[in-house]
Amino acid sequence: MSEELTFWEKLARIDRRVFYWILFIGLMIPFIRPIMFPISISPSTRDLYEGIIEMVEPGDVVVMNIAFGVSAWPECMPAFAACTKLLIKEGAKIIFWGAYYDVDLSYEEVLRRCEDYFKDLKYGEDYVYLGYYPYQEAAVAQLASSIRSIFETDNYGTPLDEIPMMKNVDKATDIKLVLSGDTGDVCDYYIRQWRIPYGVPVAEIGIAMLGSSYMPFYKSGVLFGMSVGVRGGAELEKLIGEPGEATIRMGAINISHILVIIAVVLANIGYFASRGRRR
Amino acid sequence: MPYPTDPAGIAGLWIAWLLMLMIYSYPLYKENPAFRFAEHTYVGLMLAIMLVRTTITTTIRMVGPPLMQGKVWYVIPIILGFMMFFLLTPKYRWISRYPIAILVGAGFGLGMRGVLIPDITNQVISTITPPVTGAGAVDWWNYIYIAIGTICAVMYFVLTWEHRGGMGYATRLGRWIIMIGLGAYFGNTVLFRMAMLSGRAQFFLQVLKIAPM
Repeated sequence: MSEELTFWEKLARIDRRVFYWILFIGLMIPFIRPIMFPISISPSTRDLYEGIIEMVEPGDVVVMNIAFGVSAWPECMPAFAACTKLLIKEGAKIIFWGAYYDVDLSYEEVLRRCEDYFKDLKYGEDYVYLGYYPYQEAAVAQLASSIRSIFETDNYGTPLDEIPMMKNVDKATDIKLVLSGDTGDVCDYYIRQWRIPYGVPVAEIGIAMLGSSYMPFYKSGVLFGMSVGVRGGAELEKLIGEPGEATIRMGAINISHILVIIAVVLANIGYFASRGRRR
Repeated sequence: MPYPTDPAGIAGLWIAWLLMLMIYSYPLYKENPAFRFAEHTYVGLMLAIMLVRTTITTTIRMVGPPLMQGKVWYVIPIILGFMMFFLLTPKYRWISRYPIAILVGAGFGLGMRGVLIPDITNQVISTITPPVTGAGAVDWWNYIYIAIGTICAVMYFVLTWEHRGGMGYATRLGRWIIMIGLGAYFGNTVLFRMAMLSGRAQFFLQVLKIAPM
């Protein structure tokens, strides 16, 4: 005959699917009715913002590396778009390229999100899109020594020599700084192949998971700034004065965290309360 | 991405919505044929797109133009690439070892090029440099915590001496520091997954036009 479960044992054995349903529904609430929480600015995001403002002069060429796929848009795209807006405000000329095979979609999404900023810019003079580069670190190293050895043309087939803003740009030393939007370790390649040999300042716009991985590089001054996940995106949106998707998404993130904390507390209460009984 | 107006765009959106629900039917319900269909479709499509995109980028954009300009040495990486396919034939598998050896060698060489300064030298300097004048209590706490934490965590991996006495206390503290570090890493991973899930929750509402796209 099966032993009757106590309240605490039942608490510890709640079906995980119940939690998943609550989580999935809970995450939807902020998109129907936005829940705004105050957002403080972390030092790494502030350094990224101030670093761009201090370093970039009008006419400087900056690389925006898209090393995240469509699936990581919720995490990386708000911060990436905010940095693009900031660079345009500072008068930078931007080279977009990417290490993911679906980079075209991400590039188009950046253009869409920064539509008001790009409408006054001219393709080829103010920004250019070179497309997808495979082979990861080898390609990044080669891009540092000669962009033309990887990209003879832009993504649409125009030779780089015929693109006005690319006429005197071919090496890492011609680039003012690199902002790398990442879900993996592509920023490592820019640190090893651009930052260390050529001294090009590099900053990371990464998913939350990379926050702890790249923090030592930020703390030691290898990265001049870092935006971590949706939180970093919300902070950047606040800094540029344009609250957007990340600010709304932070409501969903906060709800998910509260739910996780509640689940962890309930599971632990259930575990410790029923442990004595099991003994 | 604005809400599509053309029939193909609308169909694509709804197919994506249905496939997403099929995938989520596994955690929200249980494993079922719809989930397996969506899973296999996703993996197959992703690999196909990646293969085609990479092949086109390599052959047409990167290797094609230089070859047409007479730079015949660009044919070498193509040959090396084809040599990889001998991996599939047991009799000639040894041929594939040459391109693999080149890949591994180049990877190590490139990786080692810039690893010493950011990964070792700068980390040591950053760890032993005290906060500058005017630093607050938090900065000093971080400095001491990181310095002691680094030393103790490294000591945990020193296996030359038995972890007893003073060494035992230090390595135990080191183990706690490592566990806290791994906990932070795991926490960030969970945070990332939540953000991804919130993206899907938003998409779910956007397709139904409950949330703006």
